[in-house]
Amino acid sequence: MPHEVIMPALGMAQETGLIVAWYKSPGDAVKSGDVLFEVETDKATMEVEAQADGFLTQMRAHAGDEVPVGDVIAMIGEDAEAVHTEETPAGTAASEAADLPEGHPVIMPALGMAQDTGLIVAWHKAPGDAVDAGDILFEVETDKSTMEVEAGAGGFVAALLAEAGEDAPVGETIAVISAEKPSNPLQVSRSGGARAPEPAAAPAPRSEPEPARAEAPAAARKAPAPVRSDGGLLASPKARRLALEQGLDLTRLVEAGHPQPYHAADVEVLKSLPAKAPADAPAATRRLVAELPADGFPGFAAWAAEHAGLGDGNALLAGLAAASLGRDSATVTVESIGRTSVHSVPAGPLGGISDADPDTMPDLYLRDLRMSRLSTVNLGAEAAPVLTLTRSGDGLSITLECASHHLTAAQAVSLLSEFAGRMEQPLRHLL
Amino acid sequence: MRNITLSQAVNEALAEEMRRDETVFIIGEDVAEAGTPFKVLSGLVEEFGTDRVVDTPIAEPGFMGLAVGAAMTGTRPVVDLMFGDFIYLIMDQLCNQAAKTHYMSGGKLNVPLVVRTNLGATRRSAAQHSQSLHALVAHIPGLKVALPSSAYEAKGLMKTAIRDDNPVVIFEDKLMYNDKAPVPEEEYLIPFGQANVLREGSDITLIGTSSMVQVCQQAAELLASEGVSAEVIDPRTIVPLDEETLLKSAKKTSRVIVVDEGHQSFGITGEIASRINEKAFYHLDAPVLRMGAMDVPVPFSPALEDITVPTPEGVAASARKLMSGEMIHAA
Amino acid sequence: MSPAKKTSNTEDYLRMYRQMVRIRTFEDNANQLYLSAKMPGLTHMYSGEEAVAVGICEALEVTDKITSTHRGHGHCVAKGAAFKEMFCELLGKEEGYCRGKGGSMHIADQSNGNLGANAIVGGSMGIATGSAFTAKLLGRDDVTVCFFGDGATAQGLMYEVMNMAALWKLPVIYACENNGYSEYTATDEIAAGSIPARAEAFGIEAHSVNGQDVLAVNQLTQDLVARARKGEGPFFMELMTYRYHGHHVGDINREYYRRKDEERDWKDNKDPITLFGAYLTKEGIATKENLAEMQAAIEADAAAAVEYALAAKYPDTSEVDMHVFTDVKHALA
Repeated sequence: MPHEVIMPALGMAQETGLIVAWYKSPGDAVKSGDVLFEVETDKATMEVEAQADGFLTQMRAHAGDEVPVGDVIAMIGEDAEAVHTEETPAGTAASEAADLPEGHPVIMPALGMAQDTGLIVAWHKAPGDAVDAGDILFEVETDKSTMEVEAGAGGFVAALLAEAGEDAPVGETIAVISAEKPSNPLQVSRSGGARAPEPAAAPAPRSEPEPARAEAPAAARKAPAPVRSDGGLLASPKARRLALEQGLDLTRLVEAGHPQPYHAADVEVLKSLPAKAPADAPAATRRLVAELPADGFPGFAAWAAEHAGLGDGNALLAGLAAASLGRDSATVTVESIGRTSVHSVPAGPLGGISDADPDTMPDLYLRDLRMSRLSTVNLGAEAAPVLTLTRSGDGLSITLECASHHLTAAQAVSLLSEFAGRMEQPLRHLL
Repeated sequence: MRNITLSQAVNEALAEEMRRDETVFIIGEDVAEAGTPFKVLSGLVEEFGTDRVVDTPIAEPGFMGLAVGAAMTGTRPVVDLMFGDFIYLIMDQLCNQAAKTHYMSGGKLNVPLVVRTNLGATRRSAAQHSQSLHALVAHIPGLKVALPSSAYEAKGLMKTAIRDDNPVVIFEDKLMYNDKAPVPEEEYLIPFGQANVLREGSDITLIGTSSMVQVCQQAAELLASEGVSAEVIDPRTIVPLDEETLLKSAKKTSRVIVVDEGHQSFGITGEIASRINEKAFYHLDAPVLRMGAMDVPVPFSPALEDITVPTPEGVAASARKLMSGEMIHAA
Repeated sequence: MSPAKKTSNTEDYLRMYRQMVRIRTFEDNANQLYLSAKMPGLTHMYSGEEAVAVGICEALEVTDKITSTHRGHGHCVAKGAAFKEMFCELLGKEEGYCRGKGGSMHIADQSNGNLGANAIVGGSMGIATGSAFTAKLLGRDDVTVCFFGDGATAQGLMYEVMNMAALWKLPVIYACENNGYSEYTATDEIAAGSIPARAEAFGIEAHSVNGQDVLAVNQLTQDLVARARKGEGPFFMELMTYRYHGHHVGDINREYYRRKDEERDWKDNKDPITLFGAYLTKEGIATKENLAEMQAAIEADAAAAVEYALAAKYPDTSEVDMHVFTDVKHALA
């Protein structure tokens, strides 16, 4: 019975061996113990002995070939005749270099770290096709991504040695590009190739059972991540859990000046804090409304843009509002639909208005709601007095809202009257 | 109930089990007529003879290996390892052979043996006779580890260990051999993996092993006088570990200190703290504290040695910090 | 061959021959499984040393114990193990002797008194001595044979347990398989003085015997076992033998520590199976054809066992935390 010569596994976790040299030729008589070939692994180069007596036949791998361990690379037969019976299985694999057309070998490229194989997604050229070096020859999928690979050499596709859908080990020749147009271009699949003949050897060698992964502790896996609505404050896990369960906000302890870190006992303190009042609302507020039959501002803005080079309508509004405050200078925040701007308004001509730091606390807010459908507002005071512009028929409605400590009643009346006048006839007030 | 010493309790446990089961024998250095340097075994050779109370040459790996083979073939050896520090000498036989045989044989071979040895510093014995090395063996799958904290515990745990079909290592605290405790006349066993709640409390849990149980008890007394209610728990065995009782207490008090005489780093305290952290995190109101022996070889000078191990005052001081909500080890 | 007693049992001789061929065949298949990447891990071949394991184990009863080594397939087969469970174990399969948890270096077969192979060189010397201690303590008459190699004589444990065995007259036989090499180093580079003299220093009777002569090994062992049963132990045997392969299957280029012509000489002129086969035919106990038939049957048996083991299932992953403790089904549950 012929004896298989296999690429031996010589080290732990060795996957392939490189045949450095054959010491016997096909047809040679060999004795058990004779050195048959030399193989190089990642560790060392070693000589491999024949395991049986007979004649070397059916040599399937050659010096320079990298062969997966366990693959049959030759046979030791009972007579030298067997050498002539060497048969090429339909579908020749890459290792049979001798049968391949001459030309530039295209290998399965290693495209990632620790990548062993690549999956050929598609060939972009067919056997016999002319090809340029920069043409995409095939598409390959690794564990990371799918990539297009260029031919790397010009000529003709003389052989495709793997089919789309097949995995090929990196470094293995999967195509040949010849200089001359091939008379007999080759298209084969890897699976039909000269692998070890018994089908059992086909799947992953050294398959070992998938180890059950150690599970993360159940608590770590299943517990919902606590929602950190409280920013970076310091609190024990228990205090956070209790606050979450009871719908309490630990940041209120910060606002109340209670020292961190917070523990379960501090949740009791939190519960004893007075209920949260409507945000920062001062006890008394003022609200005044002025109605104007006509809005003089659009005409003024057009004039200012054309003749004074003042194109920023918000800055003009800020200037008119600031002037109404009766101070030397003021910061005004203008909120219009889709835009908020902060303006620094000095005493003097409107041309002196500049953009202020957006974080600056303004002396006055101006809400321009003329483009909206709102007609009446009652929004309460903010941190500074607020002037709100709304449309009123063809005219304009101006609402002033502020806290009692912002402006006295007289100041409020004065501000709104001044501003209403300026909006009705901006040019006049300018002069 | 009568009070007997821990030493007498161990002696009784061995004698009772040797009477009950003729396959039980004791092997080690100076175990027969000498009864060990701690005199724990005095009198046993008179009753059981030198066939079953076997004096060996000074060859720890040798008699440990012999015990493994004896256990595999039908006996129940109790290996007397004179000092816990000699664990290093028997590591291959204990950890590569005894611990793995049942597993590697796919459950076919058993190694029912007990290694009885000791731990504990402050005997002025310096660095090679004072170590508490139970964490080394607790790390190895296949070994059970018991840490008796009193005469009562020592007797009940020893009897259970001898009857266990797995290799068990029992560490007695060598400073406690003369400590007396109530021990019933009638036979009893203490099952492995069942922690003992020695004192119930609501504010903080003190988990102590071996002689550190006493330390925790005394710390609890100090704290009680200040109005702090401490719960004290003795796990009794660290392999298997009664997680359920420890977690229940941690969830109740929300503060835990783990006290053990092994070196603090990579030790029992860290393991127990970590399990509480993993499984009771949302119930904790303070970090779980580890209090082990200092990470230094045990020094000889009393002035140095005494500060290397946890004390009741130290445990109470740490408990106060946790109670006050003070930041512990805050960067 | 040592002179055969005329009364010797033909069946015993044939069984010895058969057991040696079984070991060689087992190892040839294991080697092939490993080289063809069908076997996980690493393995150490016993080929060449068959007369040692068989000569000794044929002198033992099923109730006698042995401890084995990393090069342990031969001991396991000789003590009565079956191919199927052994190949399954080598391949990590559920039906292996240890449910795939031990592998080549840890096969234990308690039913035949094999307390297990040991992957720590010299690691089982304590176990063997302890097994003999059990026999003495419980008044059983079984004997334990401790197999170990020349390399293990450098381990301190050996001297500790030989000392105790001698002090307590334990029924243990220390069987040193001296194959001339301690892993990748010649024995005379690692062992000073005489190996049997190490035992003699403890007052242990020591013998050196040709380990390629199965009858010589068997006769010596029968004698020592009988005396050990009577309380005359312990004993020490040095068995001069040779391993055909390298330290392990991948150790194939070994000229740096072992010459090829030396290997050739042992294989051609000192092969225990060839020698005993020639003896059997010369004495008219068997014909060449009988022996060839026996070999063919064993090869078929091995091929079937390999095929079975390759197709056999792996243990379920749920077994990973079983057998950590005797009384806990799943240690991590």
